[in-house]
Amino acid sequence: MDITNFLIMKQELLLTLITLFILVSEIFVSDKRRIIPIAIVLFGIHTLFGFLYNSYGSIFGGMYQNSELVNLMKNILNLGVFIVLLQSSTWLLKEENENKISEFFILTFSTLIGMNFMISSGDFLMFYLGLELATIPMAALVAYNTYDKKSSESGLKLIMSAAFSSAVMLFGISLIYGQFGTLYFSELLSADMTSPLLILAFLMFISGLSFKISLVPFHFWTADVYEGAPTNVTSYLSVISKGAAVFIFNILLFTVFRNIVDVWSDVLYVLAILTMTIGNLFAIRQTNIKRFLAFSSVAQAGFILLGLLGTNELGMATVIYFILIYIFSNLAAFGVVSSIENNSGKLNIEDYNGLYHTNPNMSLLMMLSLFSLAGIPPLAGFFGKFFLFTAAAQNGYYWLIFIAVINATISLYYYLIVVKAMFINKNDSPIEKISNNWYMKTSYIICLIGLIVIGFYSDIFEYINQISIGI
Amino acid sequence: METTIFYIISAIILVFSVLTVTTTKILRAAVYLLFTLVATAAFYFMMEYNFLAAVQLTVYAGGIVVLIIFSILLTHQINLDLKKINSIKKITSGLVSLFGFILIGNIIYTHTFKATSSVIADTSVNEIGRTLLNYGDGGYILPFEVISVLLLAAMIGAIIIAKKK
Amino acid sequence: MHSEGLILFFLAGIVMVGMGVLLSSLLSPKKQNDVKEEAFECGIPTEGPSWLQFKVGYYLFAILFLIFDVETVFIFPWATVMKEMGMVAFIEILIFFVILGLGLIYAWKKDALKWE
Repeated sequence: MDITNFLIMKQELLLTLITLFILVSEIFVSDKRRIIPIAIVLFGIHTLFGFLYNSYGSIFGGMYQNSELVNLMKNILNLGVFIVLLQSSTWLLKEENENKISEFFILTFSTLIGMNFMISSGDFLMFYLGLELATIPMAALVAYNTYDKKSSESGLKLIMSAAFSSAVMLFGISLIYGQFGTLYFSELLSADMTSPLLILAFLMFISGLSFKISLVPFHFWTADVYEGAPTNVTSYLSVISKGAAVFIFNILLFTVFRNIVDVWSDVLYVLAILTMTIGNLFAIRQTNIKRFLAFSSVAQAGFILLGLLGTNELGMATVIYFILIYIFSNLAAFGVVSSIENNSGKLNIEDYNGLYHTNPNMSLLMMLSLFSLAGIPPLAGFFGKFFLFTAAAQNGYYWLIFIAVINATISLYYYLIVVKAMFINKNDSPIEKISNNWYMKTSYIICLIGLIVIGFYSDIFEYINQISIGI
Repeated sequence: METTIFYIISAIILVFSVLTVTTTKILRAAVYLLFTLVATAAFYFMMEYNFLAAVQLTVYAGGIVVLIIFSILLTHQINLDLKKINSIKKITSGLVSLFGFILIGNIIYTHTFKATSSVIADTSVNEIGRTLLNYGDGGYILPFEVISVLLLAAMIGAIIIAKKK
Repeated sequence: MHSEGLILFFLAGIVMVGMGVLLSSLLSPKKQNDVKEEAFECGIPTEGPSWLQFKVGYYLFAILFLIFDVETVFIFPWATVMKEMGMVAFIEILIFFVILGLGLIYAWKKDALKWE
């Protein structure tokens, strides 16, 4: 084995080194607050390195594989994590977290390593290991506010539902192994996938993964966990964790399970309708902004399935493109929510009444991000949704698109409720003027650029589309 | 003879699994779970997967059950009985389980598994060690190293949650 | 599998344990009254449930034990082939050790190993 082979997995290696470095500094540095800038800068460098010196191939007997597309997925996740880290500084600097600053970075990076391995996996064993590495530290992150009972409760809920979904998924994987005697994706490609047993195995597998993406009817943990978790962890959970799960879902459907495309497109058809509709209907009823965003993210996952139903490279590219946009839109919204929560402790939509008069910039950013989530032109979210619909239209799913358009309209209604609260509703005691630190401001600027530029700069989609063809 | 032992062990696993989920005393559930795990180890011994059986005994029966019992003893309400489930729920969940069992059982039973021509895998500790540390084809060195990161993250996560400072 | 030995083992186990219980219940004299039935605790009548809440420290120790228990599981196969595989195996286990060793140092530093 050549030493240059390690360059193929440089993302994971570098991230592991950074994690260990932070662990060592946690042991030896006495003023933990100094770790925040170190960690953010190191991760920023890591994010930049993701675009440089790339080499592709598969190592460890095909257990790990990297391609241009996979690397792009990792870069997208890196970018999102970078924004999350910037946004979490205010929360980490709070007094009650003074003894667990660096652990946040260690646990976050561990989950990211897991997601990277999951996306890069070449067999189901590595896939499962990556998934667990992405889930178990996540439960600790969700339960991070040990002084808050709700946080502990949601940690428990997450680990329970994750364990349950993993068990179902493992049963599915074991049935696949029982039939073909191999776990390698490359060997499964040529396997004869016509037996009912395989379809059963696939259904179990897909239900397990649907938990992670929180598709209806596997979404029941989402709102409770999102509400109880610290807001920055919620944004991480709803954007990065979900994004990684969608990526691997994408890859697996188009490689290992491509022979049973008839089966999975039927399944996704039903899941898409259920997820969009139920996510939307529940989102309307929410009064807590975090629960509201939780159900909105459930509904967004339903739209993502539309892209997968394109069942070709274009569909795959639209999904990746949508995730990129979704990261910026959702992180902008969560950034504002976390900033308000950390400064005033308010989380209800009513509390946002009159926000524009005291915090005009944050209100505008929130408005833009919500409009992008709703898919209003000319924001990036519009292009994301439009491409998803195009992908589904290619295969003639016109009824599905019709339902999706209705759902997009409903979603516009509830996003506008929040916008109306911020700009029109009167409030005698609005949230006071909040001064954000420069970490937060940087994250806002990155999100803003992402929201506006990605839609217009068409080269990005061209690039994604071009590299999806090879898979 | 082996078939008889197989059925005896299966019966033990089934009985104790059912008891684990039906008992109203939580500590008893943990002990029944212990029996289930030990009986599973017996399965591994039967298949001469000695290493896996040893792992099952040390990690699951020895470690995880102890951890479960500790966490039960951490709570206030150890001596309280769990709530009795009402019969409508019992019947519906029973029917759902039965349906799932029939469906899965039927599909597995009717499937014709291809017999593998390859020799039975060598499961001696030496061979496991060799495969675990092999970095070439069919080697498992990557999962081996990733597990260390997983264990580290799990340890840090546990300390963070348990230490209230 | 030597099934005869196994059957013999099972039977011997059943007989030895069963006979002990059976014989003692047959042979022992039985005189019961209410006071005898009570749990004995220094002669004072017992009060309240016998359960008490454990400290969280037990849980921390248990989970740290479990993590290193799992580590042992992975070291054991390595130990059997260490000589045969030479330097490569050594480096591989070194990485494994360093990562988990850092975890141990961290736990130490965080006073997770201290009994409070």
